Amino acid sequence: MPDNRRRHANTVPIAKFATCVVVGIFACGAGLGYVWCKNDLYATGTQIKKVEGELVQLRSRNEAARTNIAKLTSTAELDKRHALGWIKLVPITPDRIVVVGSVAKPTGSGELRAVANERKQE
Amino acid sequence: MNRTARTRAFITCFLLAGCFTAFSARLVHLQVTQHDEYLALARKTHGERQKIHGRRGTITDIRGEPLAQNDPVKTVVVDATLVKDPRSLARVLASSLKLPEAAIFERITREVFSETQKKEVVSPYIVVKREVAQGIADDLASQLAKRKMRGVSFEQSANRIYPNGHMLCHVVGYVNGAGQGVDGVERTMDSYLRSYEGFRNIVIDRKGNEIVPYRGEEHEARHGSNVRLTIDMGLQNIVEQELDAAIKQFRPKGATVILMNPKTGGILALANRPNFNLNVQDGVKSEARLNLAISAQVEPGSTFKPVTVAAVLNEKLVTPDTVFDVDNGFYEWCKLKDDHPSIELTVNDILVRSSNIGAAKLAMRLGDQKFFEYIHRFGFGEQTGVALPGEIKGVIHPPHQWSKISITRMPMGHEVAATPLQIVTAMCVIANGGSLMMPQIVHDITDDGGTVVSAFPPREVRRVVSKRTTEQVRKALIEVVSKKGTARLAQVLGFQVAGKTGTAQKREENGRYSHDKHVCSFVGFLPAEDPAFVALVLIDEAQTKRGQDVGGLVAAPVFSRIGERAARYLGLTPSFEEPEGSVVAKEGKNGGTLRDR
Repeated sequence: MPDNRRRHANTVPIAKFATCVVVGIFACGAGLGYVWCKNDLYATGTQIKKVEGELVQLRSRNEAARTNIAKLTSTAELDKRHALGWIKLVPITPDRIVVVGSVAKPTGSGELRAVANERKQE
Repeated sequence: MNRTARTRAFITCFLLAGCFTAFSARLVHLQVTQHDEYLALARKTHGERQKIHGRRGTITDIRGEPLAQNDPVKTVVVDATLVKDPRSLARVLASSLKLPEAAIFERITREVFSETQKKEVVSPYIVVKREVAQGIADDLASQLAKRKMRGVSFEQSANRIYPNGHMLCHVVGYVNGAGQGVDGVERTMDSYLRSYEGFRNIVIDRKGNEIVPYRGEEHEARHGSNVRLTIDMGLQNIVEQELDAAIKQFRPKGATVILMNPKTGGILALANRPNFNLNVQDGVKSEARLNLAISAQVEPGSTFKPVTVAAVLNEKLVTPDTVFDVDNGFYEWCKLKDDHPSIELTVNDILVRSSNIGAAKLAMRLGDQKFFEYIHRFGFGEQTGVALPGEIKGVIHPPHQWSKISITRMPMGHEVAATPLQIVTAMCVIANGGSLMMPQIVHDITDDGGTVVSAFPPREVRRVVSKRTTEQVRKALIEVVSKKGTARLAQVLGFQVAGKTGTAQKREENGRYSHDKHVCSFVGFLPAEDPAFVALVLIDEAQTKRGQDVGGLVAAPVFSRIGERAARYLGLTPSFEEPEGSVVAKEGKNGGTLRDR
């Protein structure tokens, strides 16, 4: 066998080997990537589920709080509390009411009218 | 390669190929031939349809005060197939939900026959408790998570809550167990208020946890729209309090008060007695559920006379000063009496003194057919169209069914039956200058995002009488609420009031009019020159001293008290100085108010 041919015949097929290694690494990488993505997808799904649950819970709590506020601030409830003395309000007595008397009829648009506030004498 | 080796290789290859073919055939059989069967089985085992809760719309008053709301609650459900330690789970559930542990244990371990598995198995869907408060459910969920217990889920639902209880019960209405509106606005606006549940197809693993990436079809829930009423709870509260005071004072069989904006037809307040608590439906009597304002018919009595007078004036057959002979209080041929006998009265005074004979003579001058037409034009004998269920039309007989004396009885509000809402709507015609407005209870409807879905603007049904006619009637009605009229107790300090009293005898079962049982009413408006509201006070069978159960003594003072407080609430500027000698002028000088009476 001539020298030149023998030299070629004994060389390691680096290109082929490198291709195999690259393909192998790519295949492994792709496989690992797929598994990683899949795991990440599940993890994100679990997180989504958790956040959704929290959102539903917060909405429910918000609605429950709104209902409670509506109950406590309803006219009927405030009346009841007022009657029980919880709210320290005193009904307006007639002597505390200022009646606007002798109202002058407006003579033109935009004109200021004179009014007299008279407190009733006891 | 020798022959034996080749044969071996061939046999091996053949066997391998045969194996693969068999596996492939099996796969084809599973994936193609039995695809649907196995898909259904997989869906049944791992697939689930998750409900997405939709909220029913709220009802508020004109200022946004909630009248009907949702209280979120949970339904606790157990999937017994996922439970590993039923005894411990039963203990946790029992302590949180205040249920007997033994009963829960028995339920979650009870086996039922499964058609698919052909054997006795525990149930995958057991409702342990409904309407569990949000806080308790949250607490239970955290306890289960801490103990790593599986198989318990919480379904979202809601209870309908009415924060004001008794107030406005006949208007707001209520829902049944299925969440459908049964009465009031809850019923008429049910198509807007109703919510639709959404769903999501999910896949669960063997532990019962959702595998989120495999989520399937999803439909969002549709929340109900929110209804805003024309009612003002400030005014409603005034009406309810004054009505309660009147009930305490007169102990009547029933009572109704309606406040209405004459320009828009918007109902500002509406209260009936008897009433009931919307949050407690058990044991409510049927008569308490009746909305007297639209479902009860009464003879309007003298509150009907303004219709007669307006009709005659509108036809220009008389003027307010035309004088009528009123037969000194007794009209012989039709046996008609006046409580305040006079020889002659002007058209104005017929209203002021509430003369039955005068009203009869006015109607006779108008004629049967024309009078009937005007009654209809004022809205009697037809539904007003208010968005509340159970409204009746009332009874107005056509002229060919009238007796000889019907034309003398109808002008004073007998032989006709009207609902309280029809009476107040008719008075609005006088107050607003001649238009019959359709009573409105709903102001607008908005969706979950606040966009207006539907609005209910003021609607004029028809033009009834001219503005001039209403001015003439208004002047007469102002005099009714004066010293010389029948409704002087309806006066309101600082405001000119126009209105008319009514005292209608009730019909006995034998068809005759009772001498003891009356329906006392007053319908009026203030300020008379530019009315902010028209109010009707109607009290059925007030318990008073004999002869005192009349509209001027029973209903008029209630109107006065409501009018005074309502005017203050609405911020109306007093613009009227009472003439010397009037009830309010005297009491005002003494430092008191009409409420002290």
